[in-house]
Amino acid sequence: MSQSQHSLNYIEHDSPMHRVYPLVKLIWVLLVAIGLFFYRTPLSGAVMFGVILLTAMIFARVSLRNVLSSAKLIFGLGLLLMLFHFFADPGEPVYRLGPLTITDGGLREGPIFFFRLSVVVLASFVLIWTTHPRDLMVSLNKAGVPYRYAFAVFLAMRFLPLIQREVDAVKAAHSIRGRAGRSGLLHRFKLWQRYMFTVLINGLRKAESTAIAIECRGFGAYPDRTYMKPVEYQAGSLLLIVLFVVLQTGLIVAERVL
Amino acid sequence: MATAAHSNPDVLIDIQHVTYTHWNKSEPTLHDISLQIRRGTLNILVGPSGSGKSTLCDLFNGVIPHLNGGEFKGDVFVDGQNTRDVKVKDLSQLVGRVFQDPEIMFATLSVEDEIAFGPENLRLDIPTIQSIVNRLLDQMDLTSRRHNLVWNLSGGQVQKLGLACVLAMNPRMIVLDEPTSNLDPAATRDVHNLVLELRNNGITVLLVTRELDELLAEADQLLVMDNGRLLAAGPPRRMLREYGQMMIESLGVWLPETSEIGIRLLEAGILPGGEIPITVPETITALERAHLLVPVRPKHPTPDIELKSSAPPRGEVLISARNLRYVYPGGVEALKGIDLDIHAGEWLMILGRNGAGKSTLARMLVGLLTPQSDALTLFGRDARSWKVDELANHIALVFQNPEHQFLTDKVADEIGYSLLAQGITDDATIKARTDEMLEMLGLQDVADTHPFALSAGLKRRLGVATMLVGNPQVLVVDEPTYGQDQMMTHTLMARMQEIRERGVSVVMITHDMRLVEEYAERVVVMSEGEILYDGPSSGLFTRDEVLERANLRRTILHDLLGEMARRGMYLPADVRHTQDLLALLNVTQALE
Repeated sequence: MSQSQHSLNYIEHDSPMHRVYPLVKLIWVLLVAIGLFFYRTPLSGAVMFGVILLTAMIFARVSLRNVLSSAKLIFGLGLLLMLFHFFADPGEPVYRLGPLTITDGGLREGPIFFFRLSVVVLASFVLIWTTHPRDLMVSLNKAGVPYRYAFAVFLAMRFLPLIQREVDAVKAAHSIRGRAGRSGLLHRFKLWQRYMFTVLINGLRKAESTAIAIECRGFGAYPDRTYMKPVEYQAGSLLLIVLFVVLQTGLIVAERVL
Repeated sequence: MATAAHSNPDVLIDIQHVTYTHWNKSEPTLHDISLQIRRGTLNILVGPSGSGKSTLCDLFNGVIPHLNGGEFKGDVFVDGQNTRDVKVKDLSQLVGRVFQDPEIMFATLSVEDEIAFGPENLRLDIPTIQSIVNRLLDQMDLTSRRHNLVWNLSGGQVQKLGLACVLAMNPRMIVLDEPTSNLDPAATRDVHNLVLELRNNGITVLLVTRELDELLAEADQLLVMDNGRLLAAGPPRRMLREYGQMMIESLGVWLPETSEIGIRLLEAGILPGGEIPITVPETITALERAHLLVPVRPKHPTPDIELKSSAPPRGEVLISARNLRYVYPGGVEALKGIDLDIHAGEWLMILGRNGAGKSTLARMLVGLLTPQSDALTLFGRDARSWKVDELANHIALVFQNPEHQFLTDKVADEIGYSLLAQGITDDATIKARTDEMLEMLGLQDVADTHPFALSAGLKRRLGVATMLVGNPQVLVVDEPTYGQDQMMTHTLMARMQEIRERGVSVVMITHDMRLVEEYAERVVVMSEGEILYDGPSSGLFTRDEVLERANLRRTILHDLLGEMARRGMYLPADVRHTQDLLALLNVTQALE
């Protein structure tokens, strides 16, 4: 029921990362992502991985347990991707396992892919953990995104728990109707169709009412609006970008020089 | 072009000959409506389901004609301005509307942000917004919840937050559409007190409701709608005198039972002065004047003896819980050791506030939740050994929102599905059984309609029908009267009675005390995961401490009986209906 049970959510406390301007954090995630495509060796990825993990733990004050519980699925996926590369990439065979061979190319490329995935995900999680969705919206609005659009994302988040509740209710209601189909698989497909239908119909009805209701509350009355909790940009936030640009440039240069 | 009633500056709302046809309907939803609402008054709007009450509410803040399409004739003046000429954003600062389900109004994540949302849209400055938010949090008693997520609030808090959001726009008038229909009696009283407070602070209020007991005496105007028309409007007492009988008999309005008694006294020609009473003291005065309040000795010295004597005979035990507990994965203890037997053919009502554990219990009975020990026996077997679809042939649950249960595109197919689920595959049998069930619940005319296109009352009946074809031994119904008018409720209850006569046990979850008073035989009151009371309903109404702990309250009829007893007139405790009381007072004979 409670959202706080999910670990991938805004975590309300104070930390240096929490104080960084939301838009700067968004740009930071993009920078980290772009940087990943320039690394040639797994070592650079590993360094970034370590730095961002430490950033999460020290500068965002997120516990390792929390990090792992949110990211374990993605990390697992990354490991599978790495294994796949071990066998699939061209190169000199290093090790034979029946009909499968592990190549030296695979051993180099695999970890790169693992780090590409997990670093991007970890950086996005840091953004989510340390940024109130409202603040991100406000900063987007301040950067020139019309508030109607900035709000769309925010409203979607507002609807998620409602939809979840609806899905749970429909599932429960359906399950006590008993089973009428002869084929289990066909029955499941039909049931699934009905969930979608019911949830969609009710979702659309709610969305329509919500659109009217918020218009009655003055939404869209003027091209701009005020915010009770303004988000102030501080130049200090740029330090995050500067440090990472230096680190990333250093890694890229080092790979090519050393 | 019509003009506003300038002659009377007291008038805030002036509706002149409005006819409105919804874009996908051929018949008008509102038919030549004209009415006036004076400043600073409390106005109550009543009428059967589907009579156009919610559509009427759309006129005040310009949703019609600005946001909803359709054909709009006539004029609506708010504060002297024609709504056709005023933008919705400007109207929003004149009239605020709290929607039936305020959750759909919410656009942010936390309580305080939600209140700030409207003022932010109006570009107010930060200190002003902050002071509005703080004032409203305080007024609505939500200060301790200011950082709460909006979906982690109780039903009463959701209504209060909805009200706060609307008040944040600083409107002259607020329109509330059935704010208490899903609230327990204590939360209802809270909302009613807020409404009165607002009126007393000069805000004009229009309240659509079916719960008149607490507010009718305070209202300045009562408006009655039926079938898209405004039948009458005026001061409540005059309305009761002139239209009371019609409201009860043909519109199914839930008038306070005290007023019902007054109306019958008027009919019988024994209401001196002709003023219909609303409150208990007024009714006492009316009964005194009619010489009906005469001392009668109590027949039973203590209510406890009565409890045993009036206990109905019971059949075999179908469901048995002993020290039943349930802890949700998050650690919330929803049931804290419950002892309960449900017998064959009995009618049981489970009462209690939201979060008392009623739904958890219901879900366990139908197998949606598995007990964590062997404390629950269903039909002679440990509950943990049952599968959900296997249990479906023994016990059925009608959900609060019947739409959630529908699986097909036609009403008849819904019933057919349930038959298939029982293993009946013969087409002729399915056809015959389906027709039988459609007829029994009065659904034969809509057999080919899509379940989602039915009216609220028919949807619920279909929900019951799909559950009954499985020939269950126990039928569990969750909040059957939510959003239903009196006539629909009585029809539904009559069906339940029929079902019970066929030997099915009916377990009903509700907080509608009038339903309890009229229909309940055995009542189980739950609070915070425990059973506070298990016995006949008449015994419940004498236990103030149970009512208080479970957030319930006595009906106004029982308040009246209590007051009569205090004046030396003891009547048997099994008075369930105003008719019972009138019969005891020999008024019924006078009427015939």
